Amino acid sequence: MNLALASLITLSVPLVLAALGGLTSERAGVMNIGLEGKLLAAACATAVVAVQSGNAVLGLLAGVAAAVVLSLTHAVLTQSFRLDHIISGMALNALALGGTNVVAKAVIDQERSLEGAYLPVGFYWAAAAVAVVAVAVYLARVRGGQWLLAVGNDPDKSRQMGLDPVRVRYGALVATGVLCGLGGALIASNAGSFTDGMTAGRGFIALAALILGGWRPLPTLLACLVFGGVEAAQLQLQGTPVFGAQLPSEFWGALPYLATLVAMVGLLGKTKAPAGLGRA
Amino acid sequence: MTGVTVRFGPVAALSEASFAAERGAIHALVGENGAGKTTLMRVLFGAQRPDSGRVEVDGRPVAFRSSREAIKAGIGMVSQHYSVIPELTCLQNLTLGAEQGWWLDTRSAAARATELAARMGYEFDWHAPSSGLSPAGSQKLEILKLLWRDSKVMVLDEPTAMLSPADSDALYASLASLAGEGATVVVVTHRLPEVLAHCRTVTVLRAGRTVEARPVGETTTDELAGLIVGHEPPRPVTDRATAGAPMFVVEGLRVRGYRGDEAVKGASLTLHQGEVVGLAGVDGNGQRELFQALVGTRPAQGRIELQGETWVGLRPGARLAAGLRLIPEDRHREGIVEDWTLVENAALGLHRRPPLAKGRLTDGPAKLEHAARVADRFATRHGGLGSAIRSLSGGNQQRFVAGRALAMEPKVVLAFQPTRGLDIDGTAKVYAAVREACRAGACALVVSFDLDELLEQCDRVVAVCGGLVREPRPGLERDRREIGRLMVGVEA
Repeated sequence: MNLALASLITLSVPLVLAALGGLTSERAGVMNIGLEGKLLAAACATAVVAVQSGNAVLGLLAGVAAAVVLSLTHAVLTQSFRLDHIISGMALNALALGGTNVVAKAVIDQERSLEGAYLPVGFYWAAAAVAVVAVAVYLARVRGGQWLLAVGNDPDKSRQMGLDPVRVRYGALVATGVLCGLGGALIASNAGSFTDGMTAGRGFIALAALILGGWRPLPTLLACLVFGGVEAAQLQLQGTPVFGAQLPSEFWGALPYLATLVAMVGLLGKTKAPAGLGRA
Repeated sequence: MTGVTVRFGPVAALSEASFAAERGAIHALVGENGAGKTTLMRVLFGAQRPDSGRVEVDGRPVAFRSSREAIKAGIGMVSQHYSVIPELTCLQNLTLGAEQGWWLDTRSAAARATELAARMGYEFDWHAPSSGLSPAGSQKLEILKLLWRDSKVMVLDEPTAMLSPADSDALYASLASLAGEGATVVVVTHRLPEVLAHCRTVTVLRAGRTVEARPVGETTTDELAGLIVGHEPPRPVTDRATAGAPMFVVEGLRVRGYRGDEAVKGASLTLHQGEVVGLAGVDGNGQRELFQALVGTRPAQGRIELQGETWVGLRPGARLAAGLRLIPEDRHREGIVEDWTLVENAALGLHRRPPLAKGRLTDGPAKLEHAARVADRFATRHGGLGSAIRSLSGGNQQRFVAGRALAMEPKVVLAFQPTRGLDIDGTAKVYAAVREACRAGACALVVSFDLDELLEQCDRVVAVCGGLVREPRPGLERDRREIGRLMVGVEA
């Protein structure tokens, strides 16, 4: 396969999985800035279990479980305890950052020599492709998807129509956990091991892609491919002189984040967020 | 429903209220703002747990813990602000919560929807987004939602508040045919003529108690009005002011609408000192945009002048300082800050003016005194000036907003549907106060979709149609037919 294309896919798929996770959450009306933390926790859990058990499937399951637990915590805090969605998301990000650091130090560093077992990345690529279609079809054609959209747009009116917004949102956040878990497991599988903060803000870039895609599955997929493409391009361009000047590698490394920023600023106020985002 | 009591903190919204309705007829539930009508119906619909009391449906006692249970038992409710979710399509709204199966077969759902609509004589583009629906369209969709759920008891809260007279009549015709098929229809309303014309029985609530329940044939509007307020209702003011000099002049005003199209196409209008002018028109003919342009929240081209001083380019704050006072359309979004206290809301927009302002700060005691005055103006019922305005019922919030608009020497009062959700007493008082302000040297423009109200209360009524203000011919300033023609764009 073409190397550039492979690099593009490798870098985009974690974004796609995380952004879809964000989509199920935010379309149900739950703001989710905690995608980054879920990715990180899943990557760590996958790597640790992969090393400990040597079983690739167990590793994946552990990653998914870690992200689902974080996601359900977000559900409990924002829905049952009515905590502000941003604050809860930030707290869980911080928890994931610190928690993975501790776990990784305790487990992985001492057994650095051991190579873990990981599922082939092709599995994740297929999973991401299925997930995009599944989420799109679910929202458009399945009863639960209709409930999710209704609850995300107006929880009060939905309650009047006999729906239980809290229950619908719990379900949506489980889906968020599963999708982010897959994304995190993929990041660990790509690298073959866990390193501190290895998700490097991909959760936030995924969130930006979600907004850029107007909270719709297919445009969000495209936005993820664009961001993944910029990341792939910067890897290729590392060390290329610009107008004869040699730019430091940090400049190239900052490119994806810069692109995200430019996309968000250019888009400010143009896409429409779900009307019930953050409402009880 | 018997002996129903609901308390919110120390306030009893309902005390021992009762209500009964038999099958196959339309029943009216009337009462002042805050009398507990909506609360009583929310108890029936499972959206409000009563502190005590019994509810029976078809002779069987029920105690719904959620709307879902009530819907299952065949009870449907259309709330005043509708429960149509604009981001969903008409079909999605119709089926929401009562889908035919886990997989949404839109084709068969649309077929059944069309069938239901045909039964009522309605037509819908089921796959269109429901955000494009007019108030009348939303109301029709709500009725179809009840039919989709096989509701046997249908409760409609203020169903005609946002409808034109023709649409209201059509609605009652639909309701009558449903009642004829055996449904029990309950209408919560302020409009007594509707009660007399269309309902079989009427129940009057006052301050959380049921004061009367009898067949409509045995009562009159005057008697009902008396029962509702508990004393003789105030007569609508009939002495018309003599207009003074031109005071507020709008000429050739052009305003772009929400979608970028030209919503107001060169409207001209003159308010004379001491005059209350009504602006009649069917919803969506540019009233909103015109109103916002006058307030200063929407850019406009043309001339706006108050006593010779131009307002073009003036920010809303400066217009308020110049004497503009507002009763905005959507009190929740534009009129009040729900989480703020009554004191804070009373000062809102007026906080930069003495005596409320003290240098760059605001004066606490003055604000408190001001809030008390605002609340007293229309007898707003509240649980303390320091409590959040959210705790007031909708009608009481509206009274408060109106009270604020008429405080502190207004020069131009702009009101958009000022009596939306108000009862007879409140309506009369709001207009009386506007009139009083005008007599003291102000002028007023009232936008309403209720032509009869404008004809009854205003000195002069002009019509808006397709973004143009059209004046009736001399001598016909308050002629119902003349203005009705102008509203729909028929040339005189």
